[in-house]
Amino acid sequence: MATFTINGRDVDVDAHPDAPLLWVIREHLKLTGTKFGCGVGQCGACMVHVDGQTAFSCRTRVADVEGREITTIEGLSETGEHPLQQAWIAEEVPQCGYCQSGQIMRAANLLAMNPQPTRDEIVAHMSTNICRCGTYSRIVRAIERAAQEV
Amino acid sequence: MTRERTLGKTRPTRREFLQGVGVTFVVGATGIVGACGLEPGDDGLPLASAPDAAISPNAWVSLAADGTITIQFGGTEMGQGSMTSVPLALAEELDADWDDVRVETVAEHNPVYGNPARSRDLGYPILYTAGSATVRGYFTPMRQAGAQARKFLLDSAAEQWGVPVAELSTEPSRVVHGASGQSASYGEIVARAKVPEYLPEVDESEFKSHDEFRYLGKDLTRLDVPAKTNGSAEYGIDVQVPGMVYASILRTPVEGESPVAVDDAAARAIDGVTDVVTLPYGVAVVGETVEATIWGKAALDVTWSESSRFRATDHARDLDDYEARARDLDFHTDNPLWQEKGDVDTAFANAERVIEATYRTDPAYHAQMEPMNATASVSEDGKSAEIWVSTQTQSLTVLGSAEALETTPEKIAMHPMYIGGGYGRRTEYRQKYVDDALFVSRAVGKPVKVIWSREDDVKDGAFRPLAAQYLRAALDADGNITGLEQRVATPTVLGYMNEPRWAHAQGRDGIAMNGAQTTRYAIPNVRAEHVIVDRCSRLAPWRGVATSYTRFANESFMDELAHTLGADPLEFRIDLARENPEGRAVLEEVGRMANWSEPRDGRWLGVALSDYGGSSVSAGVAEISVDETTGVVRVHRFWMAIDAGFILSPRNTEAQMEGTIIYGLSNALKERITVNGGVVEQSNFYDYQVMRMNEVPEVEVRALTNTRPPSGIGELGLATTGAAVANALFAATGVRMRELPMTPDRVLTALTAREPGAPRA
Repeated sequence: MATFTINGRDVDVDAHPDAPLLWVIREHLKLTGTKFGCGVGQCGACMVHVDGQTAFSCRTRVADVEGREITTIEGLSETGEHPLQQAWIAEEVPQCGYCQSGQIMRAANLLAMNPQPTRDEIVAHMSTNICRCGTYSRIVRAIERAAQEV
Repeated sequence: MTRERTLGKTRPTRREFLQGVGVTFVVGATGIVGACGLEPGDDGLPLASAPDAAISPNAWVSLAADGTITIQFGGTEMGQGSMTSVPLALAEELDADWDDVRVETVAEHNPVYGNPARSRDLGYPILYTAGSATVRGYFTPMRQAGAQARKFLLDSAAEQWGVPVAELSTEPSRVVHGASGQSASYGEIVARAKVPEYLPEVDESEFKSHDEFRYLGKDLTRLDVPAKTNGSAEYGIDVQVPGMVYASILRTPVEGESPVAVDDAAARAIDGVTDVVTLPYGVAVVGETVEATIWGKAALDVTWSESSRFRATDHARDLDDYEARARDLDFHTDNPLWQEKGDVDTAFANAERVIEATYRTDPAYHAQMEPMNATASVSEDGKSAEIWVSTQTQSLTVLGSAEALETTPEKIAMHPMYIGGGYGRRTEYRQKYVDDALFVSRAVGKPVKVIWSREDDVKDGAFRPLAAQYLRAALDADGNITGLEQRVATPTVLGYMNEPRWAHAQGRDGIAMNGAQTTRYAIPNVRAEHVIVDRCSRLAPWRGVATSYTRFANESFMDELAHTLGADPLEFRIDLARENPEGRAVLEEVGRMANWSEPRDGRWLGVALSDYGGSSVSAGVAEISVDETTGVVRVHRFWMAIDAGFILSPRNTEAQMEGTIIYGLSNALKERITVNGGVVEQSNFYDYQVMRMNEVPEVEVRALTNTRPPSGIGELGLATTGAAVANALFAATGVRMRELPMTPDRVLTALTAREPGAPRA
């Protein structure tokens, strides 16, 4: 049993302590916006916030988030209208879209720490995440757009 | 692109018409949807008689009395945007308000909805989203369907109002009678409409002209985009079915082997593991949670057979063998030439000089972000199933599933889901991930979701094939290219991944050979030959299909010829494209974009030309620098000019080009699969690295739009990347890289071997 907060909701999950947080989020809690990509912290598709910091949920044991606050893409904003989400639509970033939850969560972490990042800072921060469709330039533009609007 | 007229000289009855938009369609009928409120007319077909009715003037569109317009989409959406652009073509001719439109992805193998551009695969149109053929194939049928539905609405309004139809016009989702000022929404007309015995005919001459388009050619937000920013887009891996269990499969490490002894005691002891199922190609651990099945899989102790021929694979030796076949001009396999133009043998016999080169390319992995997965619920008798899957083809998924269960296609109910990257990976006739879910569900009697690990996805990957290519050119005394031959030694991909289509292909494997033809250059005698060799891995089309290696070879070779003849590589190509205005135009344009002739400090340019997706053509220029101490090649900028006919969505076109360029560059510089002893040696993104944000160039794309029908954009341009970089590298160093990928170790080796004083461009 693990107890934590996810998107502002307190949950008790009947899961093995070693269960990856990713699968707990996706299959136990049915929040499938967080994606499985590699399982080894290499691609960023599984990124969520744990106490406001990005984490690879595939490499995070559920026991390690006991009592902590998790935010997933579904909880980034109540209405799906976080400035980054709006910028993602305005710049039409997603293609296949599979990596984009992780990209947005990673970008939200950047803007929380650094509301006006330079292009180099954006690139350095976002290079943890793979987009196989090659939407990188649009991700940069969307982050810059959101930074102007925050 | 021409296509048979929608309707023949004989007016079809409505019942006939409902069998499809085109006369080539032969199977099935969708008929009236939303039948609530419909009553039978004289011919037994329903009439709309209530406000909640919906009428389908044809199989593609349903018009509801509440104003909702539902359009069927015969492709699948994997990020290329055709789920928006294809229905948009219908909505345009219907003069619909796009806000009233809902799009449904067709969830069946029904040739009525097949892509006319995919009519030859199996001998009739199938639902198969690949080869950049979706917009190309569906554009005209969608416009016909939309125009016909609009005519139906006009005819109905004329009858309802007692006015001549010629006096009516439309505004978005409204019919207007200008003379009286009377108007009504499409929904209001539908609510009072009678379905006529005969549906109106449509001639292509009645289509809107391009300057009348409200939507096409403009940038609308793709329908799938908002859901892809908030986690609500549902991919195959996201499916949740009541009563579902999970399965992880320990797959045979070597293709062709099977489990001979399974010790599953430790796996079964893991909390949450409920079953262990032995399959012909692996052992499935079934459980109540994903994590239990992953741990159970790790706890299996399986002894495998050791008889597979793939155990003899040896990457380096296999490639050498391919090369020997490619270079042996007397060696031929029993399949027709890919291209034969003029008299190649005489051209070489009379040549003043012959230039030759060999190019080698390693297999490439798709690295789609969503690992293979499928969910299936098989009936108790094992003869019918419901499946949920990210697939590029409703048709082959249904046909392959029926084959797997030894049943008939109508027993397969399928749900196509959003696709987390396709790139050709999800196009097989028999999709192993679907087989997995079907077999395990049948065995355990429950719905099962099978998820491949990334390691499964790599080690059981289906790759772009290993290839060696020999090219030679015949030059006359004046330096004219009189003959060109390209011999591609690579396996048949179709013969592996789609046997029924291979049977229809008459030995011409477009998946293995696309791009080996020479059509843009004025060379009188040309031959391209597929030398079919044994495969060393599982195979699938890759993004751009074969062009990433065939064009790497022939566009690198063009560069070699230019340098041999002392010509500027761009001017040389422009001159050779003198009889091909489209090819010439994109070359000239990309030269302007890149400011080709201007030298730049420490950076070098390379150019390549490629066509793909019907009549689309692209020219790309790479600007690179190379670190001669490490062998690292950095691409700083990439310019691309394209001609893909009419551009439906400029923004999405640019996005697709950015994507294909990055996909191509990533492969050209970094990506390499090796198979030794039958084992794929790579595992995950740490040893199959793909480009990240800190490595991508600035990309600039320009589309030369015209009024030709739209041709493909989803893969266009990718094929220019490898050759453009290799050609730039030659310009930079005088070293010719004839092998993909151009990894730092290979570049360094080539630089070290460079003779002192080697020529620089």
